[in-house]
Amino acid sequence: MLEVVEATAGYGHGPDILNDISLTVELGRRYCIIGPNGAGKSTLLRLICGIIAPRSGDVRFEGRSVGGLRPDQLLEVGISYVPQERTVFPSMSVKENLVMGGFTIKDKGLVNERLATVYRLFPVLGERHGQLAGTLSGGEQQMVTLGRALMVQPKVMMIDEPSLGLAPLMADQIFDTIRELSDLGITVILVEQNAYRGLQASDWGVVLDLGTKRFEGPAESILDDPRIRELYLGSQIAGKEGSA
Amino acid sequence: MSDFLQVLVLGLLLGGVYALMASGLTLLFGVMRIVNLAHAAFIIGAAYIAFFAFDKAGIDPLLSIAITMPVMFAIGVGVYLALFPRIEGSPRFGEMTVLMTFGLALIIEGLLTFFFTGIFRSTRPGYATQSVFIGDLFIPKGQLLALVVSVVLLLVLWAYLTFSRIGTAVRATMQNRSAAQIVGVNVRRISALSFGLGMALAGASGSMLSYLFPFFPSRHWQWVALLLSLIVLGGLGSLKGAVIGAVILSVAAAFVTDQFGPTWSPITFYLALFLIIMVRPQGLFGKAVRI
Repeated sequence: MLEVVEATAGYGHGPDILNDISLTVELGRRYCIIGPNGAGKSTLLRLICGIIAPRSGDVRFEGRSVGGLRPDQLLEVGISYVPQERTVFPSMSVKENLVMGGFTIKDKGLVNERLATVYRLFPVLGERHGQLAGTLSGGEQQMVTLGRALMVQPKVMMIDEPSLGLAPLMADQIFDTIRELSDLGITVILVEQNAYRGLQASDWGVVLDLGTKRFEGPAESILDDPRIRELYLGSQIAGKEGSA
Repeated sequence: MSDFLQVLVLGLLLGGVYALMASGLTLLFGVMRIVNLAHAAFIIGAAYIAFFAFDKAGIDPLLSIAITMPVMFAIGVGVYLALFPRIEGSPRFGEMTVLMTFGLALIIEGLLTFFFTGIFRSTRPGYATQSVFIGDLFIPKGQLLALVVSVVLLLVLWAYLTFSRIGTAVRATMQNRSAAQIVGVNVRRISALSFGLGMALAGASGSMLSYLFPFFPSRHWQWVALLLSLIVLGGLGSLKGAVIGAVILSVAAAFVTDQFGPTWSPITFYLALFLIIMVRPQGLFGKAVRI
């Protein structure tokens, strides 16, 4: 179980972005965090993965306090993060990028094993293993960052805006893969601007606003809740059948 | 024709040392986005270590690299940890590093002048004044040895960055710092190490500078301007760019010296700097980046 306990956090000397937020994540589920711009969705992910430390409160994972640990330390307990920006290593090949994902693994055999798993999940990365990652399309780069995060076989994987800037077809493919991650036993926490699509790919929805949790519940019930639709899904429902 | 070849060879010989000096500077920028205006001041500092090792203990300047590299490495790690982690994450990080390293350069210059005075120094190993001839080609022995040592050190650096686990982490940090952090690289440790490496390269350069070019404390301003022009030509943060930039400008300066006299040689670098900034500000191998 992953818990955020009454946490407050922000950047540098700036104001609090997260205010006294609490969230319990049951392992094995797929979560989608939705909410308007500036609600603190990405900040919450950055707090959990250790890029920023809580100013007060804590993050607990499997019964132990992990708030304030560095990202590399959190990777070792099994929490990995796929940021919103495309963060491939542009002048390294696809394969080198994936191997970098296993940077914290000392056993080379294990790295190769995991590499094969990632190639099975994303065959196109296997085909392009020698190509420089900076020359890939946006969708392929997103696959590289997802694949790279999978190299450590995380228990929890946090994915920020996976469909941002992708063609609808490519976004579909990414969401399919995210569903497959659950079958690998990975707990997924997704932040998605396209709330409708994000909730569809998840079993549990969490609504964030002004740095704190407003509501949570099964994803379908959020999709069906007229109040939440009006407040947080708004115009996106109109484009329900389209790609929004 | 043989004249042309002679000038070309003289340019190439110095290109190696220039490349070594510039590689440290570009490494610091590549990994940490630090514009180290004190780089040449550290090189001059290392040249003083080589000078006194030669003067007091008779240690050959090329052998003194075994002293200057580890000493400068340690100083580099210390300087990084003392000055830079506290301003990390600041939106004005780039500008702050320029001001901080400018101040650092002044302090180093002041200390060197205070302790060692402002008089010209240089080490005088036998090979500094010897030369060899290949056919008609005149080759100063000291410059040839410096080229060989520089090339060896650059190859070792390249192999370390390409094949070792930590070297790969350094390259990853250069290409995308936040991604490196996400895959579990301890970027602060990598930064301290890289700063140490850059300073170690400055140390080796200083040992060689001690017999190639006479020096005194405030000489570093001229050097850092020259080094900046090399890495701006190559593209800030690109090691390949630093080496190629160094070779191109070193050869160009040799031709300018040959045609117009040595007074005009420094102009080559600054003129090139202005041209690059006007025509291709990201340099030959650089990416357009914000600092």
